[in-house]
Amino acid sequence: MVRAFLAKWKATPRSGDRPDRVSSILVPFLIVTIGLAALAWRSYVLSARMESGVNTLAMQYAGYAAQISASRIDAAVGSELFRASEEWQKVERRSPSSAELKKWIQDNDWIISALYLPDADPASAIYASELPGTVHTGTRLTRELYSPSGIVRYTYDPSSLLVRVRPALAQQPLVQAQGLSQQAQVTIIENPSALGAIKTGKGYAVITPLAAPLSNYAVRGFVEIGYGTSGWENARLVSILLSAFALLLTALGAYLAMRGLMHEADTMKLRGALVANVSHELRTPLSMIRLGAETLKRGARLPEKQRHEIEDSILREVLHLSHLVENVLDVARMQNSSAKALAFTPVYPRDLLTSLVSTYESWIRSRGFEVTLNIDDAIDEQSWDRDAVSRAVLNLIDNAIKYSGDENKQIDVVLRQTEASIVIEVKDRGIGIDSDDLAHIFEPYYRAQFSDTQTRRGAGLGLTLVQQIIASHGGTIEVESKPRLGSTFRLLFPRAQSHTTTHLAQLAPQTL
Amino acid sequence: MTVRLSHLLLAALLLLPSAYADDRKMCTAPASECEKAIRQLSSGRRYLGAQIEELGPGIIIKAINEDGPAARADLRPGDRLMAVNGRSTVEGSIKDFKQILFSAKATGVLWVIVQRQGVLKKIDVRLEPYSKAQIDKMVAQHLALAHGIPATSAATAPQQ
Repeated sequence: MVRAFLAKWKATPRSGDRPDRVSSILVPFLIVTIGLAALAWRSYVLSARMESGVNTLAMQYAGYAAQISASRIDAAVGSELFRASEEWQKVERRSPSSAELKKWIQDNDWIISALYLPDADPASAIYASELPGTVHTGTRLTRELYSPSGIVRYTYDPSSLLVRVRPALAQQPLVQAQGLSQQAQVTIIENPSALGAIKTGKGYAVITPLAAPLSNYAVRGFVEIGYGTSGWENARLVSILLSAFALLLTALGAYLAMRGLMHEADTMKLRGALVANVSHELRTPLSMIRLGAETLKRGARLPEKQRHEIEDSILREVLHLSHLVENVLDVARMQNSSAKALAFTPVYPRDLLTSLVSTYESWIRSRGFEVTLNIDDAIDEQSWDRDAVSRAVLNLIDNAIKYSGDENKQIDVVLRQTEASIVIEVKDRGIGIDSDDLAHIFEPYYRAQFSDTQTRRGAGLGLTLVQQIIASHGGTIEVESKPRLGSTFRLLFPRAQSHTTTHLAQLAPQTL
Repeated sequence: MTVRLSHLLLAALLLLPSAYADDRKMCTAPASECEKAIRQLSSGRRYLGAQIEELGPGIIIKAINEDGPAARADLRPGDRLMAVNGRSTVEGSIKDFKQILFSAKATGVLWVIVQRQGVLKKIDVRLEPYSKAQIDKMVAQHLALAHGIPATSAATAPQQ
């Protein structure tokens, strides 16, 4: 059942595992994202509303400015005409003459020429003109002025009249408002092409026509819109950019959280694999031992041969169990490196290998394997941790036995030396390692996937331990492998150069 | 010295007639320009041909032009204007009357109620444009006064 569960576990893809955890991380981010999106939408709507509000305000201000100015100009024109007629009536009370009429025209410089027709005798009219008529090329308007003793008819130039009343434009008290420039710009334009509100590039213009006699002219009130439409001044753009930035940050946070979660999930998975593997690995030999011991106790009359078999099997299982426990403990110790795991002593590699093989030869033979030792006798004493190196080599032999087929049960152990290193090779003719798996075989709890992985015993710790042992000796490990042809593991220890260095290396751990 | 004196004399002789001429010629514009302006300003405009006088409250006719619309309508000096075009002028001023005249400009018709020797009388006056002779006279007067052109030559000017 455990195996079935493990198989199922490994078969499921990574992203799919622990969906409850993924959602528990992603849901808060989703909520934040929704909140941010709502905020972004809201701020966009608000800034759009603000813009339209400012636009309306600008248009209204422009309209007010134009209308007020137009009515001011109209009033000024009316008062100018009235003032001229009042002046003439004053002149008229003293006997009107040609010189007086001329003076009146000069005082009111917008009048070009005037004809005074007294009621008493229309034929004795007085005519005066200020300038040669050719100067006034623009439109001329005629106006009548009924005075007590007659009529004055005069021609005048509306543009000159406009010049006279233009100061009325200067008085422009407009309320200051945020988002608008301080004042409306009021100008007078001739022959307006269009009336009413016009949206220009920078603001709003409202054109209001003037009353007669200046109906050819119009007042243009213009209000510039204070808010910008580009860069940081564009509130809408900025709100969108800031929201996008916030969303990006949220996405980054979600990604980081997901990555952390994945990492945690990996660790959890490995831990789970360890517990499952190790408990299985521990339980199997224990039950074998228990079964053997029970059989021995009950069956006193067992034949001698069977009793030996049971004893062998118990011994084998105990060996295996102790080997496994040693491995787990060593890996844990080396990973934590809390205590100095290794004790370096002078060792002859030749002795180490021969004693190792002779100790385990019976066990190896019992599995149906042949071991050949190929040893270079010239190798000097080395400063190694005897037990650790033995365990490393034993692990390699164990692996070679585990991952060999039935057809070629031959293991070669070679000890040789090169210029720089002492080399121990363990070569089998077994099932080999897939190139996909080669990159992972030294990871803790990693086990290559075979159709029958679960029938081969092991916790996935052996090679990890080997690598750690070699690394702590300052060496490296090489693997050559071809599927179905066998693997060669090569341990390369740095070669001790002389006795002094050996001695120093030997002393070093003790001083620490 | 002599040279300078003679120069001064020459300058005085040259300046004298021009100064005199300037005094007489009040218009700087050419005579033809003035004539055109006068004809334009006076033609087609209707007139009443009566002088009005204000009497505290109320207005009376002070004088009547000979051969004018008022004279033809039998308005006489001393007539008190009681109402003009339906508006009472019993308490009116010259200004009120002029306003009525201005508003009647388009139709050219005045209905006047006058009080003559205690009797109220209704008189219709039809305002008339200035006659050609009157306009010619205006032009001739202006040309003679402001441009120093004799009346005879000015009178012939329009015929050219």
